[in-house]
Amino acid sequence: MIDEMEPAPKGTDYDLYFGPAHPGSGNFGVKLKVAGEIVVSARADPGYLHRGFEKLMEYRTPIQNAVLSDRLCVLEPLNWNLVHAEAVDELMDIDVPERAKYIRVIMAELSRIQSHIIWYGVFSLGTGFDTGFKMAFGYRDYILDLFELITGGRVYPAGYICPGGVRRDFPNGARDKILKVLDKMGEMIKLEELENPALGARAKGVGILKVKDAIRLGATGPVLRGSGMKTDVRKDEPYEIYDRLDFEVPVRKEGDAYARYWIGIEEMKQSIKIIKQALKELPEGEVIDPSWKKPKLSVKIPKGEVYVRNEVARGEAAVYMVGDGGSKPYRCKIRGPDFLHMIPVLEYLLKGAQIADVPAIYWSLNICPADMDR
Amino acid sequence: MDTKETGLLDEIKSKFKVDGRVQREQRIWISTDGSKLMEVCKWLKDGGFTHLSAISATDWLKDGKYELTYHLWSYDDNILVTVKTKIDRKNPSIDSVVPVWEENAQIHERELHELFGVKFKGNPDLSPLFLEDQEDVHPFRKDFNWREHVREKFYNKENEREAVYYD
Repeated sequence: MIDEMEPAPKGTDYDLYFGPAHPGSGNFGVKLKVAGEIVVSARADPGYLHRGFEKLMEYRTPIQNAVLSDRLCVLEPLNWNLVHAEAVDELMDIDVPERAKYIRVIMAELSRIQSHIIWYGVFSLGTGFDTGFKMAFGYRDYILDLFELITGGRVYPAGYICPGGVRRDFPNGARDKILKVLDKMGEMIKLEELENPALGARAKGVGILKVKDAIRLGATGPVLRGSGMKTDVRKDEPYEIYDRLDFEVPVRKEGDAYARYWIGIEEMKQSIKIIKQALKELPEGEVIDPSWKKPKLSVKIPKGEVYVRNEVARGEAAVYMVGDGGSKPYRCKIRGPDFLHMIPVLEYLLKGAQIADVPAIYWSLNICPADMDR
Repeated sequence: MDTKETGLLDEIKSKFKVDGRVQREQRIWISTDGSKLMEVCKWLKDGGFTHLSAISATDWLKDGKYELTYHLWSYDDNILVTVKTKIDRKNPSIDSVVPVWEENAQIHERELHELFGVKFKGNPDLSPLFLEDQEDVHPFRKDFNWREHVREKFYNKENEREAVYYD
């Protein structure tokens, strides 16, 4: 695209900093080299949210790490709870009760909807549709109220999904409340599907990512599906009870910002479907392995290693946990989807884009700096 | 039992003479030495392992080794192969896999170079990623004393309020 254009007039090439203090960027910056209106090259500037989780986890026992794992992503803490808990379960060979598996899936899917709502909101903001932003944050509160009822925390569940199962059973009346909130979400999706013409015009044909490049750059999740690859960890490698549930994987071929946005909307519908099925089949029984009922402060993590993959709202999340016989994990590598989306994919997509398209491309990737910096 | 996992493992074992095991469904672990790493990686990439899920390093302080692990996923077979290789802790350097997985490998190696100090020969850009204004610091090594480092780097002994951090 750059080659076709005439060279920018002298004096119009300069460096432009997008973030870390930009209202739409999160704790993350991109340095753009700009010629006129066109971005010549982009370089990601991460690290503003680096807290060294992998090192912190080496100093803590699994039950402490369960609380820590919330903070891996502000927008979907329950999904990250789940990845960490599954890694410990597999490494320590813990049997998770059936009811806990269903509750884990219900909570993870609620968290996914909640994260996609924010995605819709900030993407609307990035494309100049402010009403969408306010609507999204308004509807998100219904789910936060549910989280408060079930886990005790509105945003951070404080290790609700912990090794062995889940911390508490659903309180009385939670089932009806969840169903009521799901109806609200259905309402919201109907409103979101009424496409704002400005949003369509700003997003269609912008930031095109071909499937070959997407795989090469390490894209996963909605970004990869928006480029036409039908893949989902929940289908490829079913964990918990996903193999018993009936849901579809939405795919779009175009690979532009609009396709990724559309995937987000469709995934919310599928999540609602999943939660309804899981609530219907929810069995009775224990919600946590009896030996983990009281928080276990001294445990013995056996020698060995596991690599657990999950599908979180943004893509593939994984935990590589190594045990050496002590009470703390010897090494806990966390693979966040945004590490790849925010550095190689974003740098690739911004090259050659118009300055005005930067927020649309940026937010179409559903970016959250927390699990990139870790 | 003959599954696709054992079939693939046998093929890799007979071709490269490496150790390996099938952990469970969809999980294969292979150990190789550094000299064979590139061959194995190229062969796996051509065999459909196009997605490099992660590269990780483990610091085995007692053995004096770093263990690098390459987690590879195949979208065709739905199998995760982990290739493990050990390198010397005193002189941690290994061939880069950037020619195989390109940008994806590049960013993972850049991260490990910063946090563990592993040198990847052939990686075009190993500049600092997360840490700013910290030279020659590799905080994820097991022998890194972070208490000491924070005290020296951020606290001033002369300052009354900060002096409490000096015991």
